Amino acid sequence: MDLSFSEEQEMLWKSARDFLASRCPKTVVRQMEEDEKGYVPELWKEMAGLGWLGLPFPERYGGGGFKFLDLAILLEEMGRACLPGPFISTVVLGGMPVAEWGTEEQKKEILPKVCEGKAIMTLALTEPSARYDAGSVKVKAVVDGGDYVISGTKLFVPDAHIADYIVVVARTAEKANPEEGITLFIMDGKSRGVSTFVLRTIAGDKQCELTMDKVRVPKGMVLGKVDKGWEMVKKVIEWGALAKTAEMVGGAQQVMEMTIQYAKDRVQFDRPIGSFQIIQHYLADMSIDVDSSRVSLHKAAWMLSEGIGCTKEVSVIKGWVSEAYRRVTAQAHQIHGAIGFTKDHDLELYYRRAKAGELFFGDADFHREIVAQQLGL
Amino acid sequence: MDFRFTPEEEAFRKEVKEFFGKELPPDWPGVDPDQYHEDAFDHIHEFSKALQKKFAAKGWLGLTWPKKYGGQEAPLWKQMILEEELTYRGTAGYDAYQFLGGCGDIVLEFGTEAQKEKYIPPMCRGEVKWATGMSEPNAGSDLASLQLKADLQGDYFVLNGQKTWQSAAHRADFAPVYCRTDPNLAKHRGISIVIVDYKTPGITMRRLTQMSGLDAFCEVFYDNVKIPKENLLGQLNGGWAVVMSALNHERTYGIQLIVNIKRDLDLLVQYCRETKVNGEPLAKNALLRNRLAEMAIQLEVARTLGYKVNSMVLKGQNPMATANQMKILGGIMTQRVAILGMQILGLYGQLGPVGGNWKQMDEKKDKWARLGGRMKHLYLTTVCNTIAAGTTEVARNGLATMGLGLPREPKPAAPAKK
Repeated sequence: MDLSFSEEQEMLWKSARDFLASRCPKTVVRQMEEDEKGYVPELWKEMAGLGWLGLPFPERYGGGGFKFLDLAILLEEMGRACLPGPFISTVVLGGMPVAEWGTEEQKKEILPKVCEGKAIMTLALTEPSARYDAGSVKVKAVVDGGDYVISGTKLFVPDAHIADYIVVVARTAEKANPEEGITLFIMDGKSRGVSTFVLRTIAGDKQCELTMDKVRVPKGMVLGKVDKGWEMVKKVIEWGALAKTAEMVGGAQQVMEMTIQYAKDRVQFDRPIGSFQIIQHYLADMSIDVDSSRVSLHKAAWMLSEGIGCTKEVSVIKGWVSEAYRRVTAQAHQIHGAIGFTKDHDLELYYRRAKAGELFFGDADFHREIVAQQLGL
Repeated sequence: MDFRFTPEEEAFRKEVKEFFGKELPPDWPGVDPDQYHEDAFDHIHEFSKALQKKFAAKGWLGLTWPKKYGGQEAPLWKQMILEEELTYRGTAGYDAYQFLGGCGDIVLEFGTEAQKEKYIPPMCRGEVKWATGMSEPNAGSDLASLQLKADLQGDYFVLNGQKTWQSAAHRADFAPVYCRTDPNLAKHRGISIVIVDYKTPGITMRRLTQMSGLDAFCEVFYDNVKIPKENLLGQLNGGWAVVMSALNHERTYGIQLIVNIKRDLDLLVQYCRETKVNGEPLAKNALLRNRLAEMAIQLEVARTLGYKVNSMVLKGQNPMATANQMKILGGIMTQRVAILGMQILGLYGQLGPVGGNWKQMDEKKDKWARLGGRMKHLYLTTVCNTIAAGTTEVARNGLATMGLGLPREPKPAAPAKK
């Protein structure tokens, strides 16, 4: 058993950290919270140039041929830097499904553009019921000639407003088992009938209401098999949850480092507050949350990379980090006192992102139910 | 990065599992890593002694120790797999933490050649049991305050004083005893370790009964006990180095607590699958599903962190910070499982014999107990898991200062003399 990175992974990690430290300062992060698009096109291009956007995709489509663990390394650094933009939406929620289940034509059309930074993608799954189960998929797709016609509203769709391709999860048949009769469609984001607007969210990330009014999607843009989409959706939920977890772990590490430094620097009662036992105990517990999260994240990401079934492990880590990261940010605020409460300080960026991350692709309760099933209950 | 075990390691794990299949009764409930069942109950102690001989025959005692003294010089990973399997099954007769770690390892690290040759081979042959004499009534977390005197008089140390909370002392043959050999030096500088043969005249023991009802540990009184000076382990007044080394083995205990309690969580999951209340299976109760899954997640995450400790040790890195984390997690999580178990059993959680599921059930009084009363025992005994082998507070202090680099709390000024 070896828990260390390879030399290549160490280099990827270090270069990602350095790049983001210089190219994604907190001023940019805050600007993007107010910005309509929510990302910096120049930075997106640079990331494409570094091979980040194509990291997990096969080389023949312009990708780097790397594995999910390598992507997780990048995502940790992105979380540390609070990198704004549609990276997870494009690479994990859109690109990975196409790479996994797309036809050769679909892969050839879409993946090179994604790798070059020329196409943004996302997945439209949740609806106003705000649940991740099959029964909550009610948006309908009906055959009409050579197309499917999709009508309905999706909600909390990340980056839908800028997406060139949106993978839409829709119901194509009503069956006794709601997991049957679901189909995935690769919808052109600029199609007639598509309208989006960006919701005002706690983390300033661009989650959208996506309304489809008789949007036509050609049959050639069905992803995978008709009516058999739910099995694919379950996998994408795993990928999305794990990707977000990696981001959260990176953020938690940064929060802990900031807070340790603060405890060493801040003097009250003639001594650094980090010399008070209670602060030491808060930070000791924080280190347990952070360190345990990282090892379990790596385990799940490694399993996914090796093609080892990891449904349970993904739910274990997303279930854990959803609450651990929240604890870490809350405790960090407690230790920082008033200074951390203002927008002049970076800490509140992480607190808000911890909440958004907790909810993304299943909170702790959602994943606990998956674990309960895995336990045979 | 690779989270798998090698085929060789998996083969060894299989060998260990087959050993249990042969040596343990199929309904073996499992003892806990605190050794309390073995120390308290004579019948379990006897079974444990017999099992220890079988471990010895497999070469599993002192697995990583030098062949010269009866060990196998096996790689550390083998030891870790062995401990994991033994602990999950709650096997008796194998005390990795206190005995092999706290006693054997320190003899190997600090002992003279003569001491190693005298003490290690019987350990490897499973012929002896050791305890450890550290705590005193006035020296718990503040171990450096220990007062038991060892006066060098000619060829002997003469010991006077008292140790307390000594697990297994009444069952043991030997113990490294932490003594004050020079009261004029600073607290932690005047400490020496002396290997005591418990048959030496002048030693009396009094069994103490824990809140679980088990009388598993002792007060040990030393009244002019003469120990040969050859039994000094390490340097005279150099005992603090031995303390540091022995405390390193806390990492083992933390991991063992986590691995062991998984057995109880599995028991609870099975119980919920098999039990209906008013026709409703407990397994379908949304609240219980959530709580059981939450506990499973916590144990899984903690166990994986434990692998990091092992990985660091194998790479020769200092695992102290992570070891402290494991100790903290072990204590807290075992208590959480106990609380969860009591929640699940409700009123039934109150019932059962002392020590839990060891078939000492009274026909009437324990008639209605569920899971043999295991949860009641667990609820009572886990109280000490955040205290024994280093309190959670001390572990957090160490983690914060040595692990995270935070400044130590300044000592208060000495009270003004009147």
